[in-house]
Amino acid sequence: MKVTTTHSGNTAVAAVNGRVDSANAKDLDQELTDIIDQGASRLVVDCSELSYISSAGLRALLVAIKKTNAAGGGVAMCRVPPHIREVLEVSGFTRLTKVFDTPGEAEASF
Amino acid sequence: MGSTVETDVKLEDTEPRRVVALFEQFATENGLSLRIAQRFELALDEVLTNVVSYAFPEGAQNPYIKVTMQVDGTWLTVRVQDNGPAFDPLHDAKEPDLSLDADHRPIGGLGIFLAKTFVHTLTYDRVDGCNRLTLSQPLEAPPENANP
Repeated sequence: MKVTTTHSGNTAVAAVNGRVDSANAKDLDQELTDIIDQGASRLVVDCSELSYISSAGLRALLVAIKKTNAAGGGVAMCRVPPHIREVLEVSGFTRLTKVFDTPGEAEASF
Repeated sequence: MGSTVETDVKLEDTEPRRVVALFEQFATENGLSLRIAQRFELALDEVLTNVVSYAFPEGAQNPYIKVTMQVDGTWLTVRVQDNGPAFDPLHDAKEPDLSLDADHRPIGGLGIFLAKTFVHTLTYDRVDGCNRLTLSQPLEAPPENANP
């Protein structure tokens, strides 16, 4: 898994590449926490290169949602492949974060 | 004809990923649809991660986990068996409250729920001193001959 981040003021776009499962969800948690701690209260998670996410990855995502909400921002997701979107829907995450087609739309949603 | 693959699993957090990769290969070799394979992969990962993480107390003697994958006729079946203390993760597994907002959502507790959702049948039984979780899925009927 690799996270590539672009910062712009208090907004950051984090593109997550690869698989997120129980073996590396801690790494995603750390990466997202670092981004938020650097001042990004509005976090866009770009999932175009995310191939897989299990409940361990959702846990890291929920932590980021809680932290950014507490900072007055939030998490928006974009370019989510259909099989990942199904996991988000089934687990109720589409209620916790909005899903957009493009990073631009996600950024504009804040 | 049926096809079966077995693998022994170590108590390491990278093992579910190895077994899931083995399942992907098994799914390809047996011509499973991508949709069934992806959903089943997640369910297997969640179940096996649960077993590797929680089936054995610290310092357990001779822990043993085995995964058996089988396609037989029109069913896909994967069994996860371990010799840990009797424990049914499906019993009393609370349904997550998906209506809660982020502040009130607990961290965790989604794994078994996702596994139950993404396979047709998930059962637990205790056999010969072992816990056994069985994931099973009917396979799609082969397409009918378009030119009879």
